[in-house]
Amino acid sequence: MTARDRILNAVRAGLPTPRATPDAIAAEARALLDAPEARRPALAAPGLADSFCAKAAALGTTVARLPDLAALPEAVRGYLADHGLSATLALQPAPSLAVLDWSGIERHSAIAPDEPVALGLARWGIAESGSLVIHSGPDTPILLSFLPLHHIVVLHEDRLLPHLEDYAARTAGEAPPRNAILITGPSGTTDIEGSYVRGAHGPGFLHVILIAPEARPAD
Amino acid sequence: MSHATTRAPFKARADAALADRTLKLAIDRTTGTAEAKRAAALSAFPEFEAARARGKAIKDHVIAHLDHYLEEFERNAIASGARVHWAADDAEARAIVTRICLEADARLVTRAKSMLGEEIGLPHALADAGIERVETDLAEHIIQLAGEAPSHIIWPAMHRTREQVADLFRTGHHPPPAAEDPASMVQSARRELRAKFLGADVGISGANFLVADTGATCTVTNEGNAELTTTPPRIHIVTAGIEKLVPSTAHAFALLRLLVRSATGGEMTQYTTFHCGPKRPGDADGPEEMHIVLVDNGRSRMLADEFRAMLRCIRCGACMNHCVVYRQIGGHAYGGTYPGPMGAVLTPVLDGLAAARDLPHACTMNGRCAEVCPVGIPLPTLLRAWRARSWREGREPGAVRAGLSLWARLATRPRLYRLASRIGVRGLRLFGRGGWIARLPLAGGWTAHRDLPRPEGRTFMEQYRAWQARKGAGR
Repeated sequence: MTARDRILNAVRAGLPTPRATPDAIAAEARALLDAPEARRPALAAPGLADSFCAKAAALGTTVARLPDLAALPEAVRGYLADHGLSATLALQPAPSLAVLDWSGIERHSAIAPDEPVALGLARWGIAESGSLVIHSGPDTPILLSFLPLHHIVVLHEDRLLPHLEDYAARTAGEAPPRNAILITGPSGTTDIEGSYVRGAHGPGFLHVILIAPEARPAD
Repeated sequence: MSHATTRAPFKARADAALADRTLKLAIDRTTGTAEAKRAAALSAFPEFEAARARGKAIKDHVIAHLDHYLEEFERNAIASGARVHWAADDAEARAIVTRICLEADARLVTRAKSMLGEEIGLPHALADAGIERVETDLAEHIIQLAGEAPSHIIWPAMHRTREQVADLFRTGHHPPPAAEDPASMVQSARRELRAKFLGADVGISGANFLVADTGATCTVTNEGNAELTTTPPRIHIVTAGIEKLVPSTAHAFALLRLLVRSATGGEMTQYTTFHCGPKRPGDADGPEEMHIVLVDNGRSRMLADEFRAMLRCIRCGACMNHCVVYRQIGGHAYGGTYPGPMGAVLTPVLDGLAAARDLPHACTMNGRCAEVCPVGIPLPTLLRAWRARSWREGREPGAVRAGLSLWARLATRPRLYRLASRIGVRGLRLFGRGGWIARLPLAGGWTAHRDLPRPEGRTFMEQYRAWQARKGAGR
């Protein structure tokens, strides 16, 4: 008998018979998700963007708001200058970013082990927790979000979802990517005496640039 | 499983821990912060009680249909391109992981913290196979340098003060940290481990959740070490206990809200990552192979006995942060992979009651662990169940059996019991000095560490009778 059969047999031996039907189990599982508002925190502010910003700021994420994507390169130049960083950037190879006017900034798509700054797009934002959602893909390397010291993330306001369950609902039924990552604040650790230190292995600085909704180009 | 169980008996280990003032300082610094931060997180989440009741219901639902969810998960994980392995015990799990590493000619393996990996003895197995293992969680990195086992399931290096960590990094890092404050030491570890992340052949992680309807595994970390462990190598191996299943991503989120607040007092971990199969065609990065090892190791046995509720455990560590015993002796004294109240329930399952009989006794039954448990596990009840089983199996020492039998004989004879109480109370007064008893014959085990309040002179029953008499006279 294989280990699989031994384990499943042992599990079944500890459970009552007859076993419930898959449909009954699915109905029970769905019922466990009913009325989620009674069991999750309320948003920090009435609007999704304000709630997202309040939660993000509490975690040490910095947030800037821009009227449109065209204003992004100028905002990035300002961020680099403010942090005394040289004008070089690992840029996510996304078409909507490539078409912008990045003059004055050296850009590359390969991410160095000690990359100072990288910029990428978030697929979704979650207002409840100030989280950014990133899905791996051909133009979304996962290491772009983990190797740099400064991680700049562009989030379109109309991609904000109120709660974690809303993200689960939006993606239910889709083929999941290799990695779906919720990023909530810069990398940190409390492993030495419980004292909080930023920049453990991932980015020590997380900067979100929120793009106002009406300015988003049609896909 | 006995690799983590140190040979000295529990009482000797506890005595040594109690005598270690540096250890007490280290434990107090972290558990104190954890307790305060959890309390603050809960006060900002008034829905916690309702969320906890639902979290418990989700876990109970999964446990009641575990066979269904295991098969659903396996089906979807295979469809995602992952390979699913089953291990009935720790030895099988070690053999599977080691075989995958050896077949891949792996020289360097990075590992993101997983308590299940510790439970199955993975660190030793990799060493025995001649494979270099690099722990990437900062705390695991600290204890790897120290050659130790974890002393806490969330903060494995909790027993080490910053000064001790500085000593380890000074010799273990090349170059040593620029300074010895936590920030400089974290920076040094970041530099030290970077090349290891990118040069590893295999990355091994655990899983906080196994999502049945997608076949994804979920890790939560604050450092980002899990993703740096699971992305660059050619192979990603996940080892996970079969109780980690959840029906869907939404169910995982409901439990995540409880887990993070209970563990660190945060609301979300910095990185909550779902790993679903290997790298897709065209993906910019990611492993070419993903293996998932589903480990039973005593869990199906718990399903059938009185310890089933323990399968709800989501490994948050709140029970140990709030345990008066853990906070005195720390994690190593428990001698198993899992310390504190949850460890005192689990270790007898994993190592056998004969080896772990003392652990369910190392409890004051104050109930704090059950109060803070985010999935409502009745830990004191389960500890009592182990005590009862130990008694039934005749494992309690002769002196304890004799003492309890004597007490039972008295307790079932009220007159005799009251007489003995009256004599005892008056006798105890003879040993008191200024309201406290500092030394007592035959009770050195108690008075060596604390004083006993000197009795007021009369037993409860005597005072109650007198009060009744006064009440009767006044009517």
